[in-house]
Amino acid sequence: MTVAVSATTLEVRGVSMRFGGVLAVDDVTFAARTGEVLGVMGPNGAGKTTLFNVISGVQRPTAGAVSLGPVPLTGHSVDRIASLGVTRTFQTPVMFWGLTVRESIAVALAAREFGGSYPPPPARALLVAGLGTQGRRRADAVLNERADALLASAGLAHMGDRATESLAFGEERLLELARALAVEPVVLLLDEPLSGLNPEEVEDVLTLVRAARTAGVAVLLVEHAVGELLSVADRVVVLDHGRKIAEGTPSAVAADPLVIDAYIGDELE
Amino acid sequence: MSFAPANAHGRVALVVLAVVAAAVWFLPAYYTGLLTLIGIYSLVTIGLNLFMGYAGQVSLGQAAFVGIGAYTSAVLAVDLHVTPWLGAVGGAAVAALVAYVLSFVALRLRENLLALATLALGIVINVVFNEWEFIGGSSGFKDIPGFTLGAFTFDPRAYAILSWALVAAGIWFAGNLVRSSFGRTLIAISAGELGAQALGVDPEKLKRQTFVLSAVYAGVAGAVYASYQSYIDPSSFSFLLSVNFVLMSVIGGLRSLWGAVIGAAIVVALGQVLQALVPLVLPSARGDFQQFFLGAVLIAILILLPRGLAGRLSEARRA
Amino acid sequence: MIAQIWQYVLGGVVDGAIFALVAAGFVLIYQVTGIINFAQGEFVMVGGMTAASLAAAGMPPLGAAAIAVLVAACVGALSYLLAIRPARAATGVTLIFITLGLDVALRGLALFVWGTNPYSLPAFSGGNAVKLFGGALPPQAMWVLGTDLIVFAALYLFFARTYAGTAVRAAVANPPIASTFGIPLRTFAFASFVVAAAIGGLGGVVITPIPGVQYDAGLTYGLAGFVAAVLGGLDSLPGALLGGFVLGIVEHVAGGLLSPGWEQGVGFLILVLVLVLRPQGLLGRAVRRA
Repeated sequence: MTVAVSATTLEVRGVSMRFGGVLAVDDVTFAARTGEVLGVMGPNGAGKTTLFNVISGVQRPTAGAVSLGPVPLTGHSVDRIASLGVTRTFQTPVMFWGLTVRESIAVALAAREFGGSYPPPPARALLVAGLGTQGRRRADAVLNERADALLASAGLAHMGDRATESLAFGEERLLELARALAVEPVVLLLDEPLSGLNPEEVEDVLTLVRAARTAGVAVLLVEHAVGELLSVADRVVVLDHGRKIAEGTPSAVAADPLVIDAYIGDELE
Repeated sequence: MSFAPANAHGRVALVVLAVVAAAVWFLPAYYTGLLTLIGIYSLVTIGLNLFMGYAGQVSLGQAAFVGIGAYTSAVLAVDLHVTPWLGAVGGAAVAALVAYVLSFVALRLRENLLALATLALGIVINVVFNEWEFIGGSSGFKDIPGFTLGAFTFDPRAYAILSWALVAAGIWFAGNLVRSSFGRTLIAISAGELGAQALGVDPEKLKRQTFVLSAVYAGVAGAVYASYQSYIDPSSFSFLLSVNFVLMSVIGGLRSLWGAVIGAAIVVALGQVLQALVPLVLPSARGDFQQFFLGAVLIAILILLPRGLAGRLSEARRA
Repeated sequence: MIAQIWQYVLGGVVDGAIFALVAAGFVLIYQVTGIINFAQGEFVMVGGMTAASLAAAGMPPLGAAAIAVLVAACVGALSYLLAIRPARAATGVTLIFITLGLDVALRGLALFVWGTNPYSLPAFSGGNAVKLFGGALPPQAMWVLGTDLIVFAALYLFFARTYAGTAVRAAVANPPIASTFGIPLRTFAFASFVVAAAIGGLGGVVITPIPGVQYDAGLTYGLAGFVAAVLGGLDSLPGALLGGFVLGIVEHVAGGLLSPGWEQGVGFLILVLVLVLRPQGLLGRAVRRA
């Protein structure tokens, strides 16, 4: 697979994250480009999830900065960063219990409708919704239709009316991914999107990931299943003990003795 | 701009309003009074259910907003001779303003600490009612003018109809809200705040708007209460009233708008029934001993229906 | 003026001692179970009411006191078994509602048993007021302060010196690991309610001779206990002690200088300030923001 020449979008510069005496992420620098899948791999405890938490704003780095194009992200809240175009999924899918699958997607679409952040001022959201103005009701009907269209394109059309409480684990993963895609992100962070899935579901997720790449999204993918990760990624960044030890094409990284050492060392520990 | 004529909630509310409006002509005055009280409490609890049931937060200080609505309307009516109709608007506005300011303190906190913060703010506001001589201090306000319509001064029947008309309007508005993208997003943050944030939802703003809305419901209810009773003092809006609103909210069903009305009706009606019956069996019982049963019912509901009455119902529908 | 303030301070010390006991109960339960027990003040009321009504029926004070503490402990045990344990799958907000319901139910229950009449209890020992730098403390205050001393010393020794205390601390620090080591978390939760209730009941017994007691007394003690516990740090027993005395003194001085109505108001203003500025309290450890 060739690496497309495209613009740098997400830039991580010298990011470190310290918890007490532990340096979970140590001076990591890399960039992601539009329309590529960037794999982030590394043995357990390498700092992958912490790195995602820093990029998405869940945690604030002790040093370094993250930016999206010219826009600095560091220091903003998770929702502000999401409204700027960086969204994510979680190792344990976060489901909106109390809503149906379609409604979950519509929540994401509503945020998108109001410029990527929700809610707008009360006069535009709360009052209009409470009074049930025709415009608002029509807009909500459109959101439902678009949610259905999105579910259909993700191959989930049959799930629309189901309560999120009733989903199986694999279905939760797929819904969370579809929900994240609904906000039309510039950068999408996927935290172990394949774990706990059967082979068929793995294929479904990878199809969605490839479609997102085609649409120009920069997909950052943390994954334990190294084989799948190397097969879908355009480039790979490898972390070990919080440090970046390699970066390059999947084949180059897979052959890198440092990387092999890190994984084997981990197995032996 | 055209508004929704009536959602399902609104249509039922109109029927209930019609029943109340008819019933007050046959009911003895005592029961009409109870109906009015249930209506006023329902209004507060509908707002509280939006904040607690749908947005998944907790407020142990809602009585303070009822008090602010009541005092504002009383001051406007007694000192400035403003009609209670405008007084209710003013009461709602001041309650909303106070809620807005306090939200910057309280809504940064979650669960246990949010509960403590709202409890504390409610009590501080009650102390202000008590200590502020301008609004009557501990002796409160007397002779608060009633609502009028032309030459007609509201009688108890009219208050029953007024309070239930407000309930109908409140249910209609809240019913629209919970079915809209606003309401869905509230449910999303109550289920998974971080997940909603990752989609660009600003939970603090959303909670703030809902908190302010719940204060508007409480403020209107307080203004009607003040004119209806024609007398208020700080003890009418104590922590115990806030606890009663929580009882109504949980007993009726947190994530349900009619649950708020049912909860208010149960708390008021059960109180009356027990006050009448228990002394026949146990002559020593005095005071608000019905609270024992209400507390027990609340615990039983939370244990037996951990996801609430509404959750159990929708499960049954899906099965 | 100074003498006046000093007298307020002394009054605050007595109240503070009780607030500290209630706060200790909060902290115990919160530490072990993560639950804010809104019913904590009712244990004080149960202790005070039981002792006062038994003494009024002619029982010698010491016997009445012992039975009162026992009754309070039983109320704590039943509260846990009937209301908390069956709801162990519940999450934060639901548990808040449950203990709030417990608070309401216990207060209602007191009305069935004792009605609305106030009860009083004779002081444990006679004698004159204790003079201290020109201020005066009622003789009963010595009993109250002595109780504080004994209770906090016992709690300290338990946690610092006994195997069981260490096990509790380990369990609190890391519940999943503790349960793999066979540390019985549920037994600890039960015990925390019983001990917290007994401490509250004991507090109710020793304080009742000063202000008297009635069915709704638990509300005031419970609310003050919260403020003290949050002020000191919800995870810190020394914090509960400090928070109790600070609150008692501040409330009395403010109430004396401003107006009695502000006594409670000042306490809750402090609570709000602490929640906003330093949610972990004076002596608590900072909680990681999740």
